[in-house]
Amino acid sequence: MTVGWIVAAAQVVLVAAVAPLLVGFTRAVRARLEGRAGGRIAQPWRDLRKQLRKEPLIPADAGVFFTAAPAVLMATSVLVVAAAPYLSTRGPLSGSVDLIVVVGLLLLGAVALALAGLDTGTAFGGMGASREVTIAALVEPTLLLSVFALSTRVGSTNLGAIVAAGTSNQAQVFTPASALAAAALAIATLAEAGRLPVDNPATHLELTMVHEAMVLEYSGRDLALVEWASAMRLTILLGLLANLFVPWGVSTSLYPGAVALAAGVFVAKLGVLSGLLAVGEVFAAKLRLFRVPELLAGSFVLGLLAVITSAVLA
Amino acid sequence: MNQTAAALSGAFALAGVGAVAGLLTPARWRSAAVGAATTGVGVTGAVAGIAAVSGTVWQVRLADLLPLAGVSLAVDALAGWFLLLVGGVATVVGVYTVGYAGRVGHGPSARGALALLPLFVAAMLLVPAAGSVSTFLLAWELMAVTSLLLVLAEHRHSPAVRTAGLWYAAMTQAGFVVVLLGLAWLAAAAGGESFAAIRAGTAELSPLVSSGVFLLCLAGFASKAGAVPLHPWLPRAHAEAPSHVSALMSAAMVKLGVYGIVRVAFDLLGGGPRWWWLLLGALGAVSALYGILQAAVATDLKRLLAFSTSENIGLILLGLAAAGLLAGTGQLAVAGVALAAALLHAANHAGFKTLLFCGAGSVLRATGTRDLDQLGGLSRRMPATTALVAVGALGAAALPPGNGFVSEWLLLQALLHQASAGGTVLTIAAPVAVAVVALTAGVGVATYVKALGTGFLARPRSTTAAAAVESPPTMLAGMGLAAAVCAGLAVVPAVAAPALGRIATSLRVESAPLQGSGVDLRLAGIASSISPLWIAVGVVGLTVGFAAVARAVGRARRRAAAWDCGDGPLTARMEYTATSFVEPLQRVFDNVLAPEQDVDVTHPAESAYLVRAVAYRRRLPDRVEARLYRPVITAADAVGRAARRLATGSVHRYLAYMLTALVAVLVAGVLR
Amino acid sequence: MTGTVNTQLLNLACGLFLLTAVGVLWRRELSALIGLFTVQGLALTGIAVLLAADTGSGEAAAVAAGVGILKAGLLPWLLRRVLHRVPEARETASLVNVSASLLAAAALTLLAYAAARPLVALAPSPTARAAPVGIAVLLIGFFLAATRRRAISQIIGVLLIDNGIAAVAFLATGGVPLVVELGVSADLLLAVLVLQVLTTRLQAAFGDTDLDELRELHD
Repeated sequence: MTVGWIVAAAQVVLVAAVAPLLVGFTRAVRARLEGRAGGRIAQPWRDLRKQLRKEPLIPADAGVFFTAAPAVLMATSVLVVAAAPYLSTRGPLSGSVDLIVVVGLLLLGAVALALAGLDTGTAFGGMGASREVTIAALVEPTLLLSVFALSTRVGSTNLGAIVAAGTSNQAQVFTPASALAAAALAIATLAEAGRLPVDNPATHLELTMVHEAMVLEYSGRDLALVEWASAMRLTILLGLLANLFVPWGVSTSLYPGAVALAAGVFVAKLGVLSGLLAVGEVFAAKLRLFRVPELLAGSFVLGLLAVITSAVLA
Repeated sequence: MNQTAAALSGAFALAGVGAVAGLLTPARWRSAAVGAATTGVGVTGAVAGIAAVSGTVWQVRLADLLPLAGVSLAVDALAGWFLLLVGGVATVVGVYTVGYAGRVGHGPSARGALALLPLFVAAMLLVPAAGSVSTFLLAWELMAVTSLLLVLAEHRHSPAVRTAGLWYAAMTQAGFVVVLLGLAWLAAAAGGESFAAIRAGTAELSPLVSSGVFLLCLAGFASKAGAVPLHPWLPRAHAEAPSHVSALMSAAMVKLGVYGIVRVAFDLLGGGPRWWWLLLGALGAVSALYGILQAAVATDLKRLLAFSTSENIGLILLGLAAAGLLAGTGQLAVAGVALAAALLHAANHAGFKTLLFCGAGSVLRATGTRDLDQLGGLSRRMPATTALVAVGALGAAALPPGNGFVSEWLLLQALLHQASAGGTVLTIAAPVAVAVVALTAGVGVATYVKALGTGFLARPRSTTAAAAVESPPTMLAGMGLAAAVCAGLAVVPAVAAPALGRIATSLRVESAPLQGSGVDLRLAGIASSISPLWIAVGVVGLTVGFAAVARAVGRARRRAAAWDCGDGPLTARMEYTATSFVEPLQRVFDNVLAPEQDVDVTHPAESAYLVRAVAYRRRLPDRVEARLYRPVITAADAVGRAARRLATGSVHRYLAYMLTALVAVLVAGVLR
Repeated sequence: MTGTVNTQLLNLACGLFLLTAVGVLWRRELSALIGLFTVQGLALTGIAVLLAADTGSGEAAAVAAGVGILKAGLLPWLLRRVLHRVPEARETASLVNVSASLLAAAALTLLAYAAARPLVALAPSPTARAAPVGIAVLLIGFFLAATRRRAISQIIGVLLIDNGIAAVAFLATGGVPLVVELGVSADLLLAVLVLQVLTTRLQAAFGDTDLDELRELHD
């Protein structure tokens, strides 16, 4: 039991440490591909350190929803990391938090930020919040249909059970159904994490901002928490994508050696996925906000096809 | 006389006392007296419910109370669940009423309006307690009439109240007639009017009769439950009724429609063919989606909550449909989970909707408006109300660790884990239903972010909102009670497991669908589990921890002007309003909502290139109402106008009608 | 069908076959539509080849080769020629918007799955189990042809219908006689050639290939 909690804590520390590096890595890869020099991979960590030292300002009319949102965002992210099977499928929370709860907790974090955006009383905050919840609402069906496709072959929505079933039965992993579900979940991930083509993480233009508009008023340690938690959310989603569809390397026990190996494999998988993300972002243009529903409808169809395919071929 | 009997009798006695107190006490003490009595009715009703769901059933037949049929009561576990639900809501509303009705002596604290309140609660307690068709119909009609009078409490206040009353009266009476026909047919066909006799007699019913009874009862009960397309009374009556009455109606009365469906379809008829459940499921899916879309675009806070009631009823019906369909294919364990999901969601919805309607009442009382576009800035002026409403909104948005999440999780589990052996229909219906639930949940989140974010946060958008003050302690206490119940249901839903198991057994599905200790929630036949307690502790504990660490490590916060693009200062007119907040969502669902908008640009006389003023209007009429009800109303009007020629005002003519009718009856008798 | 590798490959080809049909609804650029149609032709060829390898008959191999040449080579080439002659690059004003089309595709796929259940029950082999894919593509093709305005999109819709029929024929019966396939292909080729001429004439007459304009001819 204690070992389990140590592994869960190790997951949290690992993801918290890696998340800013992952963001730095995607930026660096993008910059290199676009022919720019770009920042270093550790630059996001330096930014965090700088922001933690600065004085946080809050808008004159903001209330407790604004000041609490960074902590809520961070809390939901940490809880998801602690429960997800990144290193081992036998974590202490694997029976307490399932895939649907993960979806719900991530949504709770987004809602906290949206309320914070509205609490600032600026047009930017409201605009970002409005767009964020619109996208979040439309992503939800895709997410849950992917959950459907993943959980029917296992008979459980618990993350540990799904990943463990994948590691023990390799033939189940590469089926048309799981390929479709992976594609659907990948699109949903882009939308949830606010990446191109749904949202441009590098923009500060009113017409296109979503996430940045919501957090425009944050500064100092509040901004640091928001940025850190957002990086963790990206890592969480990419990590889930990696471990649900390519479950190799995840330890099904709590032996330190196996867990350490799993940590290495996990970081490698994250590196590959974030590299792919960066390459994709070089070639993708941001969609107009009102074209995003088309993309999400497409991902919804992929999710539905995944479910139907698994039923047809069952 | 057992515990159930004692408590229930106590409830009815207290209701009588409360009604008399409402009539006799002076205006100063009236709301306190009636509030206390209503709370008493609620507490005793809830106690009766708890006793019944714990296994203490009660049956009695009072032959002398009514001529011909007598009154027959039968309280089993299913009835107990709904007694508990009604009682719980009434307890909260009773406390809340003391402050809300106030001491003014008119409007909600008028003599009649207050005297009726405990009677309405008593009628709602009588509906699930009824043990025969005649008693059930009597209770149903009592409930309809008392609630109608309560809706009309503020009829002098605005014409909208009178319109709402008319719609409600028409629809509730039409619903009653349909239920009357259905149950009377059932009683005649089964050879007895007590529920026990019907249960014994349904085995010999022909499929035609049972399907006919099902359809009639479904129509009547679904209209009471506010399922789309039988919902148009709901946004009107819930919005225009005094808020404590809205809370009672939306949280408790509407659920009795659900009770009716469960009682008739599952218990009395004992299940039915597949198409029943597909029809019920389609009704649920349409209600959920249409309800939440209308709620998302509503700017009237109480209308929003009313449409959200339609949505939640839709989810409950979806759960019931899944239970019926799964039980039909022999998957009793998963069917039990679906049934438990529906019943638990009914309780959860009662909890958070009571809280939210009371919160809306507090806002209305403090600011005089329900229009979200006029509100804002209440989080600083009414911090306690805002915090309580936030708890309710968390539950209503079905986010963890709210209470709505647990029941939606159960519903999703039942839909995800039906076996593929269940047949083609189930294989197709399940993913569609999951998608419906997911989209409903997503749009629900947007709806409640809007309600909380634009209604309570940032700067006030009107002078009345700026002048708001916190509600009196009794109102806060009532809402606090509801919030505590919501929190309890969210954290330890497993306490309901034995009760749900008993109901499931009595309805012939799995005996213990929910299992688990106080910490974990496990299911029968499905390997998934969650721990609501751990999730709640994790979210709250980590949030507090991070906030504390950040405060300890970082520098203190300083207030400064928000970024105004250098063109400040920011005014309330620059904030996003509720309307603008949902504009993207509304645009995505343009084809469903069919908004009517027009833009008038007026130019000055000098040049057509300059603009003097731009007027923008957007209306979102209820499309179902316009398409389905307007033609019926127009036709009824036409019939009425045509019939007017028969009534000219001449006494001779009327006497001639009577003579003709009498002669016709006699001739018919002779010829027979 | 023997061998799990073959089954997996067949499933993959069927998945690709259906995905390209959904993709045709998703994309607006006409050139992308032709690209997707080419990929779909390849997937259909893949299905035919796998079945031919399974039965080992020379006739099936010939059919597969014919399908490959026609669906992945000749027809896309003809379509590209048409596209070069007309200036429109995108499907601008379809009668149903993209999101709704995608949802309709989802519904049609569900319908296809339900409708194919008895067909699958007749001969429950892995090939027959994939037959709903063909029906789904057929329905999506009809939907495309019914809701799009540009002549090229409509041609592609008709071609999707044919692909769907061919896939059902392959999957449900395990192969089509060579003669039937030849006849159908000849018909199809003729239809595309006629449409090509028509599109060019339409373009010359109206400066547009919106087929709704043809309604004006009857006045």
